Amino acid sequence: MFLPFMMGHHFGVPFHVELQKRIIKEALRRIKLAENSGDIYHFPMTWAQARTEGKEIERLRVG
Amino acid sequence: MTENSDDITELRPGLWDTVNDRYPGSMITKADLIPLAKAAKPLSASRLTFVSTSGVQRRGTMPFDTVHPVGDYTFRRVPSDSKPGDLEIHQLKYPTVGAKRDLNVIFPIERLRDLVNEGFIGGLTDNFYTFIGYNMDAERLERTLAEDIAAAVEAEKPDVVLLAPA
Repeated sequence: MFLPFMMGHHFGVPFHVELQKRIIKEALRRIKLAENSGDIYHFPMTWAQARTEGKEIERLRVG
Repeated sequence: MTENSDDITELRPGLWDTVNDRYPGSMITKADLIPLAKAAKPLSASRLTFVSTSGVQRRGTMPFDTVHPVGDYTFRRVPSDSKPGDLEIHQLKYPTVGAKRDLNVIFPIERLRDLVNEGFIGGLTDNFYTFIGYNMDAERLERTLAEDIAAAVEAEKPDVVLLAPA
């Protein structure tokens, strides 16, 4: 599975528990869904989206 | 701006076509792919282990050699019941700005335990496995580190292995 995220952030952004779990689940689903060895699945989220959600979570934590 | 600034041109055309030209043997090719292995049982009944290039290790263990010119070809066992505060990162080659605040962004040890508690995964092996990704001798890595980790992982008899770069 390929994630277009910043290096060092392959499981998402800090404190975004649901995104971190979703990434692991999607990766593990490839075990059943991959059709060929070497298939690459592109995780459907941009780094900008992940960062935006992460910032909102951090805002709520602080607030 | 120049009159050619809109053109997309290589600055050094023909220097090398692929990373493999620059670092022979470093890229996996289609010929290297192994047959797809199907899971023998559902995830909810499977034991998982995690292998990571993050350089995460228990505090107090021998730090990875992050400045050796050709890399460090050793690995560390990280108990899967470790708390993030028990762990530290010894790797300089990726930004740790997020991981220093929440280790789960690169080493999701708490999230994997969450998924076990939720029944998505059956269980975890006693240990996870880490090494550092900056190793310049691909052949040596394959001959030593990869074989050493494979043997250690195999001894724990996981059903599933999650591999992640950093």
